[in-house]
Amino acid sequence: MSRNTYSIPELEQRALALRRHVVRMVAKVRIGYLQQGLGAADLFAALYFGELRLKEDDPDWPARDRCILSTAHNTAVFYATLVERGLLPATALDQYTVDGAPYEVNASERVGSLVEATCGSLGQGLSVAVGMALSLRRRGLDSRVYVILGDGELQEGQVWEAALSAGSFKLDNLCMIIDRNNMQVEGHTDQVVAMDPIGAKFEAFGWASRDVDGNDMSQLVGALDEARATRGKPQLIVANTLAGAGVPFLEGQLSHLARLTEEDAGRALAVLEAV
Amino acid sequence: MGATTTSESMGGFKDARLYRQEALSARSYGRALLAEAMADERIVCLGADLSQPTETYLFRDQIPERFFMMGIQEANMVGAAAGMARVGDIAFAHSFCVFVTRRVYDQVAMQAAYPKLNVKLAGFIPGLTTPLGVSHQAIDDIALMRALPNMAVIEPSGPEQVAAAVRASLDYDGPVYLRMQVAQGRPDESAPLSPLDLGRGLILREGADAAILACGMMVGEAMSAAETLAAHGISVTVANMASLKPFDSDLAVRLARSHPVLVTAENHSVVGGLGSATAEALALAGAAPRFGMIGVQDVFAEGATTAFLMQRYGLTADHIVQKLRALRTS
Repeated sequence: MSRNTYSIPELEQRALALRRHVVRMVAKVRIGYLQQGLGAADLFAALYFGELRLKEDDPDWPARDRCILSTAHNTAVFYATLVERGLLPATALDQYTVDGAPYEVNASERVGSLVEATCGSLGQGLSVAVGMALSLRRRGLDSRVYVILGDGELQEGQVWEAALSAGSFKLDNLCMIIDRNNMQVEGHTDQVVAMDPIGAKFEAFGWASRDVDGNDMSQLVGALDEARATRGKPQLIVANTLAGAGVPFLEGQLSHLARLTEEDAGRALAVLEAV
Repeated sequence: MGATTTSESMGGFKDARLYRQEALSARSYGRALLAEAMADERIVCLGADLSQPTETYLFRDQIPERFFMMGIQEANMVGAAAGMARVGDIAFAHSFCVFVTRRVYDQVAMQAAYPKLNVKLAGFIPGLTTPLGVSHQAIDDIALMRALPNMAVIEPSGPEQVAAAVRASLDYDGPVYLRMQVAQGRPDESAPLSPLDLGRGLILREGADAAILACGMMVGEAMSAAETLAAHGISVTVANMASLKPFDSDLAVRLARSHPVLVTAENHSVVGGLGSATAEALALAGAAPRFGMIGVQDVFAEGATTAFLMQRYGLTADHIVQKLRALRTS
């Protein structure tokens, strides 16, 4: 099965649609993962509409590409992506964080098989991805494994165990995207733990790495293409994303959880619908 | 090296220069796992630097394409095992008991237990069976694993039950903690094999005056205690409770109701292990025999020979005899 062949402007339109969903979903619950969702919308669009080989009518398709959301809390944009991609019913958006519904704040596999692992306890997703990549390779499947980590999550020691492992096993069917939004609960990531240089750290561990503007669709698609063509090494894309991207009055505001008033949601949607 | 024999070991480790020359017993874990893996291509083997003391070098040498040496990183090993299981493998992940349980508890909970994956955690050095010290002594592993939903916990009594334990772990479609001990010396390969059905205890001898529920190496101590007591006219039932979860509560309750005294014996803390599982079952059923728990009494131990530690921490047949006698006269 081939990948989708959306043009860059088409993917940008998809990202815009995701941002509108994120604003509506967070407005409904009043406080949530707004800034991360807006910041990562381009990344999710590039992955789910461009890169990943998935079947809408067969989510368990064994030869699918896997994508693990290790930062399991960034679910407004994640659920919106699965809905827009036709992998979840549209009703999922109305049931976001509703009691009893499977669409929890941290994505669990109650949602279905496209939540490839239940993460949220940070630092675990890359290890699961390593295991999947090893097993897919052993079985001769050409499926690729993608994993999205947050930059704050890199402070977890297990990430570095898994990074050593992926490099040591030369897992070229594995691609990690670090959503470098500079944000963690305590504040700016660099003020909590000095993080840079991220790419060079992974290169020293045997990875190929590339830094991109995570809100530039051409750069994201180019980096995913380059990663897919890489042989003999796992690949890292450091996606430098802007918190609140796409809504000027929210951009750059670092807030792990953001309150969104009805009025501000209206203003944000007005901006996103005027594009 | 001429004077060194292959039976010399410390804390599960033998001289690494010798182990390739040693033929594992037909009753070893290494042979049991290899046999299952030869018959089922889904079985993969993950290690964390300990191929020799976990007896996985046979697998490594004979099925290298399904052997994954992860290095000294147990957390990553558990996550990777889960990833492999998600693709359809049955992943056996190996280390010492402490390092596949307490050290990686959240990884096991989130990546193996919650999704109910075919991750089989194979741990060695149960309880106090090592001179290496407190860092390597697993006294809370049964308690920890038993507390996880979906997790099965199995501790075979010895070489006679290891193959059945491996088989039982495969019969369960989900995560299993296998708590095992490498045989000390060559096992008697002519002794009868012991079966193991998940959720079923196994009565090894029957008596009327008291019952002992035991697991792991304490099964042997319980049998010795029963012999000693028989010589003094006290007849004792002994049950091997190798399936710690699911637990054979029915058997525990039945024995509690048919014997005036019931003692549990485990190479583990009395908090959360076999004794606790039994007490829970009896309390819920309203069965109230005179009850005692042989095990590590909520203390940390230290590195020493197993015989010394069993004596110091109250894990011998004599301790069982004394406990049982005291309960009979209480």
